[in-house]
Amino acid sequence: MYRRDLIICDRCQSINKRLPLAAKEEARCAECGAMLYSSDVGLEYKILSWSLTALVLFVLANIYPVISIDIAGMSGSLTILEAISRLYDEGFLFVSFFALLVLVVFPFLLMSFLFAFSLFAVAGIEKEAAKTLLLGVSVIRRWSMLDIFFISVLVAMIKIYEYARIEFGVAFWALASFIVLEILLVRMVPVGQLWDVWERRYHAA
Amino acid sequence: MLLKCPYCEATNENSTRCGRCGLYIGLERTASLHKSLAYLIAAIIFYIPANIYPVLQTSKFAATHGSTIFEGVVQMWRSGDYPVAIIIFTASIFIPLAKFGVLLYLNYTLARCAPKNVRRRIFLYHLIELTGPWSLIDVFVVLILVALIHFQNIAIIPGIGVSSFALMVVLTILSANAIDPRILGEQCEKR
Repeated sequence: MYRRDLIICDRCQSINKRLPLAAKEEARCAECGAMLYSSDVGLEYKILSWSLTALVLFVLANIYPVISIDIAGMSGSLTILEAISRLYDEGFLFVSFFALLVLVVFPFLLMSFLFAFSLFAVAGIEKEAAKTLLLGVSVIRRWSMLDIFFISVLVAMIKIYEYARIEFGVAFWALASFIVLEILLVRMVPVGQLWDVWERRYHAA
Repeated sequence: MLLKCPYCEATNENSTRCGRCGLYIGLERTASLHKSLAYLIAAIIFYIPANIYPVLQTSKFAATHGSTIFEGVVQMWRSGDYPVAIIIFTASIFIPLAKFGVLLYLNYTLARCAPKNVRRRIFLYHLIELTGPWSLIDVFVVLILVALIHFQNIAIIPGIGVSSFALMVVLTILSANAIDPRILGEQCEKR
Protein backbone atom coordinates (compact mmCIF):
# COMPACT_ATOMS: atom_id res chain seq x y z
CA MET A 1 0.00 0.00 0.00
CA TYR A 2 1.24 3.45 -0.89
CA ARG A 3 1.27 5.91 2.04
CA ARG A 4 1.03 9.41 0.64
CA ASP A 5 0.89 10.89 4.15
CA LEU A 6 4.40 9.72 5.09
CA ILE A 7 7.86 10.60 3.83
CA ILE A 8 11.14 8.91 4.72
CA CYS A 9 14.16 11.16 5.20
CA ASP A 10 17.04 10.52 2.82
CA ARG A 11 19.72 11.41 5.29
CA CYS A 12 18.67 9.66 8.50
CA GLN A 13 15.90 7.35 7.27
CA SER A 14 13.43 8.37 9.94
CA ILE A 15 9.74 8.52 9.08
CA ASN A 16 8.09 11.93 8.86
CA LYS A 17 4.49 12.93 8.45
CA ARG A 18 3.82 14.87 5.25
CA LEU A 19 2.14 18.22 5.88
CA PRO A 20 0.74 20.72 3.41
CA LEU A 21 2.98 23.77 2.92
CA ALA A 22 2.24 27.41 2.27
CA ALA A 23 4.08 29.21 -0.53
CA LYS A 24 7.88 29.46 -0.07
CA GLU A 25 7.85 27.08 2.89
CA GLU A 26 10.14 24.14 3.25
CA ALA A 27 9.62 20.85 5.11
CA ARG A 28 12.55 19.56 7.12
CA CYS A 29 13.14 16.24 8.84
CA ALA A 30 12.14 16.35 12.53
CA GLU A 31 15.08 14.10 13.40
CA CYS A 32 18.07 15.51 11.49
CA GLY A 33 16.85 18.71 9.85
CA ALA A 34 17.54 17.65 6.24
CA MET A 35 15.29 19.20 3.59
CA LEU A 36 12.43 16.86 2.67
CA TYR A 37 10.43 18.89 0.17
CA SER A 38 9.52 22.50 -0.47
CA SER A 39 6.32 24.15 -1.60
CA ASP A 40 6.08 23.51 -5.31
CA VAL A 41 3.43 25.88 -6.56
CA GLY A 42 4.07 26.11 -10.28
CA LEU A 43 7.17 23.91 -10.21
CA GLU A 44 6.19 22.54 -13.63
CA TYR A 45 6.31 26.04 -15.13
CA LYS A 46 9.71 26.65 -13.59
CA ILE A 47 10.98 23.38 -15.06
CA LEU A 48 9.44 24.18 -18.44
CA SER A 49 11.16 27.54 -18.83
CA TRP A 50 14.48 26.65 -17.19
CA SER A 51 14.99 23.37 -19.02
CA LEU A 52 14.32 25.10 -22.34
CA THR A 53 16.90 27.75 -21.40
CA ALA A 54 19.33 25.01 -20.42
CA LEU A 55 18.84 23.27 -23.78
CA VAL A 56 19.66 26.47 -25.66
CA LEU A 57 22.75 26.95 -23.49
CA PHE A 58 23.69 23.32 -24.09
CA VAL A 59 23.68 23.87 -27.86
CA LEU A 60 25.85 26.98 -27.46
CA ALA A 61 28.23 25.12 -25.16
CA ASN A 62 28.73 22.47 -27.82
CA ILE A 63 29.18 24.50 -30.98
CA TYR A 64 31.44 27.28 -29.68
CA PRO A 65 34.91 26.88 -28.15
CA VAL A 66 35.12 26.80 -24.36
CA ILE A 67 38.54 28.43 -24.26
CA SER A 68 41.16 29.31 -26.85
CA ILE A 69 44.84 29.59 -26.13
CA ASP A 70 47.79 31.23 -27.78
CA ILE A 71 51.31 30.00 -27.06
CA ALA A 72 53.96 32.06 -28.84
CA GLY A 73 51.97 32.41 -32.02
CA MET A 74 50.55 28.90 -32.00
CA SER A 75 46.89 28.79 -31.21
CA GLY A 76 44.51 26.07 -30.19
CA SER A 77 40.94 25.95 -29.05
CA LEU A 78 38.77 23.59 -27.08
CA THR A 79 35.30 22.49 -28.04
CA ILE A 80 33.76 19.60 -26.15
CA LEU A 81 32.99 17.40 -29.15
CA GLU A 82 36.36 17.99 -30.81
CA ALA A 83 38.17 17.10 -27.59
CA ILE A 84 36.27 13.84 -27.36
CA SER A 85 36.91 12.92 -30.99
CA ARG A 86 40.62 13.70 -30.57
CA LEU A 87 40.80 11.28 -27.67
CA TYR A 88 39.01 8.72 -29.82
CA ASP A 89 41.54 9.26 -32.62
CA GLU A 90 44.37 8.62 -30.16
CA GLY A 91 42.84 5.19 -29.53
CA PHE A 92 41.24 5.83 -26.15
CA LEU A 93 37.96 4.15 -26.92
CA PHE A 94 36.64 3.72 -23.38
CA VAL A 95 37.50 7.19 -22.10
CA SER A 96 36.16 8.97 -25.19
CA PHE A 97 32.94 6.96 -25.15
CA PHE A 98 32.48 7.59 -21.45
CA ALA A 99 33.15 11.31 -21.89
CA LEU A 100 30.63 11.43 -24.74
CA LEU A 101 28.01 9.90 -22.46
CA VAL A 102 28.53 12.01 -19.32
CA LEU A 103 29.39 15.31 -21.05
CA VAL A 104 27.05 15.30 -24.05
CA VAL A 105 24.43 12.55 -24.13
CA PHE A 106 23.28 12.47 -20.50
CA PRO A 107 23.15 16.26 -19.88
CA PHE A 108 21.15 16.63 -23.12
CA LEU A 109 18.78 13.77 -22.28
CA LEU A 110 18.33 15.03 -18.72
CA MET A 111 17.20 18.48 -19.85
CA SER A 112 15.13 17.13 -22.76
CA PHE A 113 13.35 14.69 -20.46
CA LEU A 114 12.60 17.48 -17.98
CA PHE A 115 11.39 19.73 -20.80
CA ALA A 116 9.15 17.06 -22.34
CA PHE A 117 7.83 16.07 -18.91
CA SER A 118 6.89 19.61 -17.93
CA LEU A 119 5.33 20.21 -21.35
CA PHE A 120 3.14 17.11 -20.95
CA ALA A 121 2.34 17.98 -17.34
CA VAL A 122 1.29 21.55 -18.13
CA ALA A 123 -0.86 20.37 -21.03
CA GLY A 124 -2.17 17.45 -18.98
CA ILE A 125 -1.56 14.92 -21.73
CA GLU A 126 0.44 11.67 -22.11
CA LYS A 127 0.23 10.51 -18.50
CA GLU A 128 2.19 7.28 -19.03
CA ALA A 129 4.88 8.91 -21.17
CA ALA A 130 5.39 11.58 -18.50
CA LYS A 131 5.91 8.80 -15.96
CA THR A 132 8.51 7.09 -18.16
CA LEU A 133 10.33 10.42 -18.58
CA LEU A 134 10.49 10.86 -14.79
CA LEU A 135 11.96 7.38 -14.36
CA GLY A 136 14.56 8.36 -16.95
CA VAL A 137 15.36 11.52 -14.99
CA SER A 138 15.91 9.62 -11.74
CA VAL A 139 18.33 7.22 -13.44
CA ILE A 140 20.28 9.79 -15.51
CA ARG A 141 20.55 12.64 -13.02
CA ARG A 142 23.70 11.45 -11.31
CA TRP A 143 25.47 10.68 -14.60
CA SER A 144 25.46 14.21 -15.93
CA MET A 145 28.94 15.54 -15.20
CA LEU A 146 29.30 18.90 -16.93
CA ASP A 147 29.86 20.55 -13.54
CA ILE A 148 32.94 18.40 -12.98
CA PHE A 149 34.07 19.19 -16.52
CA PHE A 150 33.76 22.91 -15.81
CA ILE A 151 36.00 22.68 -12.73
CA SER A 152 38.43 20.62 -14.83
CA VAL A 153 38.59 23.47 -17.37
CA LEU A 154 39.63 25.80 -14.55
CA VAL A 155 42.25 23.34 -13.31
CA ALA A 156 43.63 22.90 -16.84
CA MET A 157 43.82 26.68 -17.22
CA ILE A 158 45.90 26.97 -14.08
CA LYS A 159 48.25 24.33 -15.50
CA ILE A 160 48.94 26.37 -18.64
CA TYR A 161 48.39 30.01 -17.74
CA GLU A 162 52.10 30.65 -17.36
CA TYR A 163 52.91 29.86 -20.99
CA ALA A 164 49.71 30.70 -22.75
CA ARG A 165 47.38 33.59 -23.36
CA ILE A 166 43.91 32.28 -22.58
CA GLU A 167 40.65 33.59 -24.00
CA PHE A 168 37.24 32.55 -22.82
CA GLY A 169 34.86 31.43 -25.54
CA VAL A 170 31.09 31.66 -25.74
CA ALA A 171 30.80 28.07 -24.57
CA PHE A 172 32.60 28.87 -21.32
CA TRP A 173 29.83 31.21 -20.20
CA ALA A 174 27.12 28.97 -21.66
CA LEU A 175 28.57 26.07 -19.69
CA ALA A 176 28.71 28.09 -16.47
CA SER A 177 25.05 29.14 -16.85
CA PHE A 178 23.99 25.61 -17.77
CA ILE A 179 25.56 24.32 -14.56
CA VAL A 180 23.81 26.93 -12.41
CA LEU A 181 20.48 25.90 -13.96
CA GLU A 182 21.28 22.22 -13.48
CA ILE A 183 22.11 22.72 -9.81
CA LEU A 184 18.91 24.69 -9.18
CA LEU A 185 16.69 22.39 -11.23
CA VAL A 186 18.11 18.92 -10.63
CA ARG A 187 20.47 18.79 -7.67
CA MET A 188 18.33 20.93 -5.37
CA VAL A 189 14.92 19.50 -6.25
CA PRO A 190 14.28 16.00 -4.82
CA VAL A 191 12.96 13.50 -7.38
CA GLY A 192 9.95 12.87 -5.17
CA GLN A 193 8.84 16.43 -5.71
CA LEU A 194 8.72 15.93 -9.49
CA TRP A 195 6.48 12.94 -8.84
CA ASP A 196 4.26 15.11 -6.65
CA VAL A 197 3.82 17.40 -9.66
CA TRP A 198 2.95 14.36 -11.76
CA GLU A 199 0.28 13.26 -9.27
CA ARG A 200 -1.14 16.73 -8.90
CA ARG A 201 -1.33 17.32 -12.66
CA TYR A 202 -2.90 14.01 -13.63
CA HIS A 203 -5.09 13.66 -10.51
CA ALA A 204 -3.67 10.18 -10.05
CA ALA A 205 -5.45 7.98 -7.52
CA MET B 1 7.14 -2.47 7.06
CA LEU B 2 7.66 0.84 5.30
CA LEU B 3 9.82 0.96 2.18
CA LYS B 4 10.93 4.01 0.24
CA CYS B 5 10.89 3.58 -3.51
CA PRO B 6 14.42 4.22 -4.84
CA TYR B 7 13.02 5.54 -8.14
CA CYS B 8 10.17 7.88 -7.23
CA GLU B 9 10.72 8.20 -3.45
CA ALA B 10 7.15 7.20 -2.56
CA THR B 11 6.61 5.57 0.83
CA ASN B 12 5.14 2.08 0.50
CA GLU B 13 3.71 -0.10 3.23
CA ASN B 14 4.01 -3.89 3.11
CA SER B 15 4.54 -4.07 -0.61
CA THR B 16 7.46 -4.86 -2.90
CA ARG B 17 5.91 -3.06 -5.85
CA CYS B 18 5.77 0.72 -5.70
CA GLY B 19 2.23 2.09 -5.63
CA ARG B 20 3.24 5.21 -7.55
CA CYS B 21 5.70 4.22 -10.29
CA GLY B 22 4.93 0.49 -10.36
CA LEU B 23 8.53 -0.76 -10.22
CA TYR B 24 9.89 -3.58 -8.06
CA ILE B 25 11.25 -2.11 -4.83
CA GLY B 26 12.01 -5.15 -2.65
CA LEU B 27 15.20 -5.18 -0.58
CA GLU B 28 17.88 -7.43 -2.07
CA ARG B 29 20.32 -7.24 0.77
CA THR B 30 22.83 -9.96 -0.15
CA ALA B 31 22.67 -9.35 -3.90
CA SER B 32 23.27 -5.66 -3.33
CA LEU B 33 26.36 -6.32 -1.20
CA HIS B 34 27.75 -8.92 -3.59
CA LYS B 35 27.43 -6.57 -6.51
CA SER B 36 29.07 -3.76 -4.58
CA LEU B 37 31.97 -5.96 -3.49
CA ALA B 38 32.52 -7.22 -7.04
CA TYR B 39 32.71 -3.68 -8.42
CA LEU B 40 34.98 -2.68 -5.55
CA ILE B 41 37.48 -5.48 -6.20
CA ALA B 42 37.56 -4.59 -9.90
CA ALA B 43 38.15 -0.94 -8.96
CA ILE B 44 41.05 -1.81 -6.64
CA ILE B 45 42.65 -3.86 -9.43
CA PHE B 46 42.43 -0.92 -11.84
CA TYR B 47 43.88 1.43 -9.23
CA ILE B 48 47.29 -0.23 -9.72
CA PRO B 49 47.82 0.44 -13.46
CA ALA B 50 46.17 3.84 -13.01
CA ASN B 51 49.07 4.86 -10.77
CA ILE B 52 51.93 2.99 -12.45
CA TYR B 53 51.38 4.21 -15.99
CA PRO B 54 51.52 7.83 -17.12
CA VAL B 55 48.21 9.63 -17.60
CA LEU B 56 49.77 12.39 -19.66
CA GLN B 57 52.66 12.51 -22.11
CA THR B 58 54.36 15.61 -23.36
CA SER B 59 56.16 15.22 -26.65
CA LYS B 60 58.62 17.98 -27.45
CA PHE B 61 60.13 17.59 -30.90
CA ALA B 62 61.04 13.90 -30.94
CA ALA B 63 61.33 13.24 -27.21
CA THR B 64 58.35 12.00 -25.26
CA HIS B 65 58.08 12.44 -21.54
CA GLY B 66 55.30 10.80 -19.56
CA SER B 67 54.09 11.65 -16.09
CA THR B 68 51.92 9.69 -13.69
CA ILE B 69 49.27 11.26 -11.46
CA PHE B 70 51.62 11.41 -8.51
CA GLU B 71 54.42 13.01 -10.54
CA GLY B 72 51.88 15.57 -11.77
CA VAL B 73 51.06 16.54 -8.19
CA VAL B 74 54.74 16.80 -7.25
CA GLN B 75 55.40 18.97 -10.31
CA MET B 76 52.59 21.37 -9.44
CA TRP B 77 53.75 21.58 -5.84
CA ARG B 78 57.31 22.40 -6.91
CA SER B 79 56.18 25.10 -9.31
CA GLY B 80 54.27 26.75 -6.47
CA ASP B 81 50.67 26.00 -7.47
CA TYR B 82 49.81 24.75 -4.01
CA PRO B 83 46.00 25.01 -4.19
CA VAL B 84 45.84 23.06 -7.46
CA ALA B 85 48.32 20.50 -6.19
CA ILE B 86 46.12 20.00 -3.15
CA ILE B 87 42.94 19.72 -5.26
CA ILE B 88 44.50 17.13 -7.56
CA PHE B 89 46.04 15.21 -4.68
CA THR B 90 42.72 15.12 -2.85
CA ALA B 91 40.59 14.29 -5.89
CA SER B 92 42.88 11.75 -7.53
CA ILE B 93 44.87 10.05 -4.81
CA PHE B 94 43.26 10.61 -1.44
CA ILE B 95 39.55 10.29 -2.36
CA PRO B 96 39.93 6.99 -4.27
CA LEU B 97 41.88 5.43 -1.40
CA ALA B 98 39.44 6.77 1.19
CA LYS B 99 36.59 5.40 -0.92
CA PHE B 100 38.11 1.94 -1.00
CA GLY B 101 38.36 2.07 2.79
CA VAL B 102 34.81 3.31 3.27
CA LEU B 103 33.33 0.80 0.81
CA LEU B 104 35.21 -2.07 2.46
CA TYR B 105 34.02 -0.89 5.87
CA LEU B 106 30.40 -0.61 4.67
CA ASN B 107 30.47 -3.99 2.95
CA TYR B 108 32.05 -5.67 5.97
CA THR B 109 29.77 -4.21 8.65
CA LEU B 110 26.64 -4.64 6.53
CA ALA B 111 27.49 -8.26 5.74
CA ARG B 112 27.99 -8.90 9.46
CA CYS B 113 24.73 -7.16 10.34
CA ALA B 114 26.49 -5.07 12.95
CA PRO B 115 23.68 -3.08 14.58
CA LYS B 116 25.91 -0.27 15.83
CA ASN B 117 27.00 2.96 14.13
CA VAL B 118 24.03 3.23 11.78
CA ARG B 119 24.35 7.01 11.72
CA ARG B 120 28.00 6.81 10.82
CA ARG B 121 27.32 4.35 7.99
CA ILE B 122 24.61 6.57 6.53
CA PHE B 123 26.92 9.58 6.76
CA LEU B 124 29.81 7.75 5.07
CA TYR B 125 27.54 6.42 2.36
CA HIS B 126 26.29 9.88 1.44
CA LEU B 127 29.84 11.22 1.62
CA ILE B 128 31.17 8.80 -1.02
CA GLU B 129 28.04 9.21 -3.14
CA LEU B 130 28.70 12.95 -3.20
CA THR B 131 32.48 13.04 -3.65
CA GLY B 132 32.87 9.98 -5.91
CA PRO B 133 32.46 11.49 -9.39
CA TRP B 134 34.82 14.39 -8.58
CA SER B 135 37.81 12.10 -9.00
CA LEU B 136 37.10 12.38 -12.72
CA ILE B 137 38.65 15.87 -12.71
CA ASP B 138 41.98 14.34 -13.67
CA VAL B 139 40.50 12.48 -16.62
CA PHE B 140 38.79 15.61 -17.90
CA VAL B 141 41.95 17.69 -17.48
CA VAL B 142 43.75 15.19 -19.72
CA LEU B 143 40.90 15.47 -22.23
CA ILE B 144 41.15 19.27 -22.21
CA LEU B 145 44.94 19.51 -22.46
CA VAL B 146 45.08 16.95 -25.26
CA ALA B 147 42.55 18.98 -27.23
CA LEU B 148 44.28 22.31 -26.58
CA ILE B 149 47.91 21.48 -27.09
CA HIS B 150 48.66 19.64 -30.29
CA PHE B 151 51.17 21.77 -32.15
CA GLN B 152 53.88 20.68 -34.52
CA ASN B 153 56.70 20.77 -32.02
CA ILE B 154 54.86 20.36 -28.79
CA ALA B 155 51.90 18.08 -28.20
CA ILE B 156 50.26 16.56 -25.21
CA ILE B 157 49.02 13.04 -25.77
CA PRO B 158 47.07 10.88 -23.35
CA GLY B 159 48.89 8.12 -21.50
CA ILE B 160 47.51 4.61 -21.06
CA GLY B 161 47.04 5.20 -17.33
CA VAL B 162 44.08 7.45 -18.02
CA SER B 163 41.89 4.56 -19.19
CA SER B 164 42.59 2.58 -16.03
CA PHE B 165 42.02 5.65 -13.91
CA ALA B 166 38.66 6.43 -15.55
CA LEU B 167 37.60 2.78 -15.21
CA MET B 168 38.65 2.78 -11.55
CA VAL B 169 36.52 5.86 -10.80
CA VAL B 170 33.50 4.53 -12.70
CA LEU B 171 33.76 1.19 -10.90
CA THR B 172 33.86 2.85 -7.46
CA ILE B 173 30.79 4.92 -8.40
CA LEU B 174 29.01 1.73 -9.46
CA SER B 175 30.13 0.01 -6.26
CA ALA B 176 28.67 2.81 -4.13
CA ASN B 177 25.46 2.87 -6.19
CA ALA B 178 25.09 -0.89 -5.82
CA ILE B 179 24.67 -0.56 -2.05
CA ASP B 180 20.99 0.02 -1.45
CA PRO B 181 20.92 2.92 1.06
CA ARG B 182 17.84 1.38 2.67
CA ILE B 183 19.85 -1.53 4.10
CA LEU B 184 22.18 0.83 5.96
CA GLY B 185 19.92 1.06 8.97
CA GLU B 186 18.06 -2.20 8.54
CA GLN B 187 17.76 -4.60 11.44
CA CYS B 188 18.90 -7.99 10.23
CA GLU B 189 19.86 -11.30 11.73
CA LYS B 190 23.29 -12.79 11.45
CA ARG B 191 23.30 -16.12 9.69
